[in-house]
Amino acid sequence: MDAVIRKRAAAYVCRSCTRSQRQLRRNFSSAAPRPDIYDVVCVGGGPAGLSLLTALRANPVTAHLRVALVEAQDLSKLRSWKLPLDRFSNRCSSLTPASALFLDKIGAWSHLERDRVQPYQEMQVWDGVSDARIEFDWAPGTAPASGTTIAYMTENLNLTSGLLRRLEELGGVSVFDNAKVENISLGEETEGLDLREWPVVHLTSGKQLSARLLVGADGANSPVRSFAGIKAQGWDYERHGVVATIELEGQGWGGDQTKIAYQRFLPTGPVAMLPLHGNLSTLVWSTTPANASLLKSLSPQDFTAMVNAAFRLNPTDLAFMHTQRSGHVEEYSWRLEHTKYDSRAIPQIATSVQEGTVASFPLKLRHADTYIGERVALVGDAAHTIHPLAGQGLNQGQGDVQSLAKTIEYAVTHGQDLGVHMSLEPYLSERWAANHVLLGVCDKLHKLYSVGSGPLVPLRSFGLNAVNSLSPLKSFLMNQAAGSGMKVF
Amino acid sequence: MRPPSLSYTPGLLLQSRGGVPFKLGLALPLHQRQQTQAAAQSRSHTIAPPPSSSSLNAEEVSHFSALASSWWDPYGPSRPLHLMNPLRHDFIQRCLASSPTSPSPSTHKLRYLDVGCGGGIFAESAARLPTTACVTAIDPSSTILSVARLHARRDPALSPPKLLYVNATIETLPPSTEGEFDVVSLFEVIEHVDNPAAFLERCGAFVKPGGWLVLSTIARTWTSWVTTNLVAEDILGIVPKGTHDWHKYINEAELRAHFAGRTAEWGSPRVMGVVFVPGTGWKEVIRSEKIGNYFFAVQRK
Repeated sequence: MDAVIRKRAAAYVCRSCTRSQRQLRRNFSSAAPRPDIYDVVCVGGGPAGLSLLTALRANPVTAHLRVALVEAQDLSKLRSWKLPLDRFSNRCSSLTPASALFLDKIGAWSHLERDRVQPYQEMQVWDGVSDARIEFDWAPGTAPASGTTIAYMTENLNLTSGLLRRLEELGGVSVFDNAKVENISLGEETEGLDLREWPVVHLTSGKQLSARLLVGADGANSPVRSFAGIKAQGWDYERHGVVATIELEGQGWGGDQTKIAYQRFLPTGPVAMLPLHGNLSTLVWSTTPANASLLKSLSPQDFTAMVNAAFRLNPTDLAFMHTQRSGHVEEYSWRLEHTKYDSRAIPQIATSVQEGTVASFPLKLRHADTYIGERVALVGDAAHTIHPLAGQGLNQGQGDVQSLAKTIEYAVTHGQDLGVHMSLEPYLSERWAANHVLLGVCDKLHKLYSVGSGPLVPLRSFGLNAVNSLSPLKSFLMNQAAGSGMKVF
Repeated sequence: MRPPSLSYTPGLLLQSRGGVPFKLGLALPLHQRQQTQAAAQSRSHTIAPPPSSSSLNAEEVSHFSALASSWWDPYGPSRPLHLMNPLRHDFIQRCLASSPTSPSPSTHKLRYLDVGCGGGIFAESAARLPTTACVTAIDPSSTILSVARLHARRDPALSPPKLLYVNATIETLPPSTEGEFDVVSLFEVIEHVDNPAAFLERCGAFVKPGGWLVLSTIARTWTSWVTTNLVAEDILGIVPKGTHDWHKYINEAELRAHFAGRTAEWGSPRVMGVVFVPGTGWKEVIRSEKIGNYFFAVQRK
């Protein structure tokens, strides 16, 4: 039951003891008819849910609120997450400086394993069909005072375990982990209270939580969103994102000081190599489901050859190699001899792939019709799912959380009921349109670059080359990417 | 609390969203306000009906529920009032912070008296503040108080003793509670009473030394004077019965004059002018107290 996070104290009680305690309290609470009332119940302990609760607990204005976290997984696994510095999880995100600043403000940034967080300062983006290219590097004098970091590559587990550590340091959250939401209903009217508009979260354990505000941070198939009757519009891309942790022959062309992110647009989708610590990089390769399953079936050597091919060979050669079941190493070295490329403008040669890190997931675009209802708010993937080509998904979620936490703070200082639709309006108006534009831009980029031939190719190449040669426009775009300049959206 | 009177941006006609509790879903233009005024007068403090003890029957309850859904519908005719409410708190915070002799929530939590509370938009919000000890909210209309009480049941944070609704006028409040309150508020009320000077006097008696008397109302503007073709008068105490509601609007200068004659009891006033911008809500506009809606406060010495 409510394993209220105490500063580490719980860690000294063995799990079987806490389990029997939990059982005891559960029986007690089911006997008591009075509803267990929380100000905020957050369903979902991913990056968005954890940082929302951390933001509320870290702010003295909202720290008195009674908050609960409901998470399906066992948080003790996350708490004890640990990897050596030469092994990296395959699910990484690119955190913008704006997100990093927010995480720092709520006191979570310092709880991340800092040597596993890799800032990068440059980007190379090019068209796989025409080779038109844009180089996001800082020309002398264009670097902003706030620093040249475009983004920080971070393992999602590093982020969530850091957030959890910070949340435990703050304390005061009722945590229900290993907990499945059985259903969500509305409250009842009793003699003194009318809770018919209050959501009640029923856990399979029998526990019931009444929520002044129910936050859905419960992912793309959000049960909270279904409960609120909020529809999500969008489509599946018929693309899968293949991820893996890749070892390169060196630390990168810029050495340890200037790390570079690479992205090549192929007709099947973009392939990106994003720098991690040392000579490691994370691969995000959006491609057809058939290509994805082929890639996952290859030997580590053939997979590595395909990764090198993806950044070097022309799309026709690459398409042919996707038809082979094996022998990619030989096929690649033969075809490479007949391909011209500038080795300094692309990632260094991949030498191997870390065992067990190749995985894939389907790509979708979804946008909820609204983020708020009466006593309901959606954040992160529950509100929107974006194509990963701009690495904005997690940052959008952090932007949501920052805005919702601010909205709740305003409600508290002005005596508003923080759960009602009216109090939540600022959150909706601040985030929905901004997210919608970004979702649209990334969607259009995906579609623009899935064209392999025809008049669009020279046109988009002209656009990319033009931007590349216009330095004011370019540094403006880079400031955007770094989240330090004036806001476009 | 009376239905909000509001002026849109300067230069536009005065409009009223009056009659909320009586005319569901209707936004009344100025020329239709006579009947609202008559209704308001019948409930005003000078000729208040004796507080009735209400035993609710089922029909009344469903009737009140319907009223409640309008008063508390943030997308209904009361929306401007809902939008204005946070500014009341901003103004009160500013008043409290402006004087070292103000009651400080860090030493003791504040006691509020909300006069003319209506459906309880301000009373509920004041009761929810972590710095509040309790709120006493009074209104002469038992009908509106039923709406307020029904709505307060929706939030456990408002359970007694945090928020207390009393069917009373300022005259019928027990004198033993005089000087008991840190903040006495009269939001959108004073333009509905027949003798504002006496009313202010009476309300002021309930303010603790160091506490604040806070009100909001609307100025009679040149624009509305022209449109209604009436000669502006000195309102305080001399408005004849049956005149148009507009006549009862009180200018900030008149309130200043009232308190200028009472400097032994009251400090110098603080004022904040606000303008309703359709689409975005209320905005503080410097010196707009001369034109439309404004907040006014004085600290008791």
